[in-house]
Amino acid sequence: MTWADLPALYPMLIPAATAVLLLLTLTVRRDARLAAGVAMAGFIAGLLALAASAAELSHPVTMLLTVDRFAVVFWGILLFAGLLVSVFAVGYFRTLREPREEFYLLWLLAVVGAMVMAASAHFAAFFLGLELLSVSLYVLIAYPRMQSRAVEAGVKYLILAGASSAFVLFGMALTYAATGTLTFAELFTHLTLFPGDVLLLGGVVMILVGVGFKLALVPFHFWTPDVYEGAPLPVTAAVATVSKGAAFALLTRLLLGVIQAQPGHSTLAVIFTLLALASMIVGNLLALAQGNLKRLLAYSSIANMGYALTAFIAGGDAARVAIPYFFAGYIVAVLAAFGVMTQLSTPEHELQEVEDYRGLAWRYPWSAALLTVALLSLAGIPLTAGFLGKFFVLTAGMAAGRWTLVVTLVLTSGLGLYYYLRVITALYQAPLEGEQPTPPPLHLPHRLSVLTGLALAVLAALLLLLGVYPSPVLHLLAWP
Amino acid sequence: MTNQTISIAIFFVLGVGFWMIALAVSYLARPSKPTKFKETSYECGIEPSGSAWYQVHVRYYIYALLFVLFDVEVAFLYPWAVIFRRIDGGQMLLFSELAIFVLILVFGLVYAWRKGALEWE
Repeated sequence: MTWADLPALYPMLIPAATAVLLLLTLTVRRDARLAAGVAMAGFIAGLLALAASAAELSHPVTMLLTVDRFAVVFWGILLFAGLLVSVFAVGYFRTLREPREEFYLLWLLAVVGAMVMAASAHFAAFFLGLELLSVSLYVLIAYPRMQSRAVEAGVKYLILAGASSAFVLFGMALTYAATGTLTFAELFTHLTLFPGDVLLLGGVVMILVGVGFKLALVPFHFWTPDVYEGAPLPVTAAVATVSKGAAFALLTRLLLGVIQAQPGHSTLAVIFTLLALASMIVGNLLALAQGNLKRLLAYSSIANMGYALTAFIAGGDAARVAIPYFFAGYIVAVLAAFGVMTQLSTPEHELQEVEDYRGLAWRYPWSAALLTVALLSLAGIPLTAGFLGKFFVLTAGMAAGRWTLVVTLVLTSGLGLYYYLRVITALYQAPLEGEQPTPPPLHLPHRLSVLTGLALAVLAALLLLLGVYPSPVLHLLAWP
Repeated sequence: MTNQTISIAIFFVLGVGFWMIALAVSYLARPSKPTKFKETSYECGIEPSGSAWYQVHVRYYIYALLFVLFDVEVAFLYPWAVIFRRIDGGQMLLFSELAIFVLILVFGLVYAWRKGALEWE
């Protein structure tokens, strides 16, 4: 590490320094708006600093981190999600009676942890990032600490994430025992040289179990609906975007390398094919039965991770474009959906049930329209970001001849369409006459702040732009 | 079956077997003559009073947290001090790195102080 390496890390160091600055600000003056402003300034400065990192691509910074094009793209996505979640949090937490300032502090740290994971080239960096992200999330999920459902969700996440961290650590220990190295690159060479090394395979599988937990792939998905439901809405959005984004980026680094090191139908490829199939089928089937929009989106995210895994298993050049594109589309759609939900909710009264949204279009046509587009994108309807993402994933899968995965993806997507459309029809139904639901839905006719409105408009524009005009993003994603 | 599979299997069997055998041997070998005094719980030789399941005041957690914070700081300071002389050049970088680390912890202390975490009412 020399001073010359620092500029490449600015996008990560600036939010980290902002967290310390915010800590000091809080000792002088407690003001939720000020705290939110400092956090947003940190995220924006981080986004601007990406230009400095992008100037020096494929740049290993010490043995721990690699700042390549892939890392920079994911940093951009994570910082963007970080900024938007803080914007949503300002409006959402305005009625919370407890201190609101620490939310932004923890959120900055969580995003920094996710960024470390996305750029890691070494197990030490991976684990540090994972823990920084997880520990911040435990507190964020239980942030409205007087509400039992939030605390319950926080404790659930704490126990399960702790268990998955233990898996990751044991996997790292086994990998180290087998190879004597903790860098990803040497792990891949070792895998190519000794494809049947049982210790090493065991270690890799255990690490991937931990990542699978964060991504909520099917046998490790049980926490997802409960945590999504119990966590306050901005944090649910955070878990669905930043936490998954970090695990996603890491999986891309590890799994693409591992599968390239063992081409053909290796043990690992078979394991991941099974995980992908299970995630697509179980996620979509269980989403059918959900009456709660947060739980529905939880199962939908499980299914979406299954789709993404198809591209991972396919590998190759097509996957290197498909994976970030699919994820960018997914993250924008999820942020838009949770953004709309967040601005209609407060910590004490969240609009969670699909029934609560009946007739939304007649009161708030713009919100309903954005929610519609977001759900259509998650379903993969043409002209939205989700369609092109799924299209690229399918192309990658077909190029690699993974027909089981491709066919399952298409069939389960058709199944998925049903539950998304169920929500969309509810949005446009006339409110039931004479029936006053208790508590009255949408009882908060607060004026949308300029920032929230701007954030939602940007998301809407991105959803459509990514769906009809992909070339600038594809140009950006071209692998080094 | 490769060599490694066998060694993992042996490791597993030994790991599970160790505690099972240890428990079984002590169960078989020990005489069992329970008396009332033997069954009271042991508390440093003092007569136990009350249940062990009493509630600790939640305030203690802040002290535990702050203790861990500075405990870890010292744990990092020692290895740093050991290698500080051995590395040629770059001493300034090494020093500034640790200074930043300690400074961040000091900020944390300032924050906890301002928040009233150190006051016992």
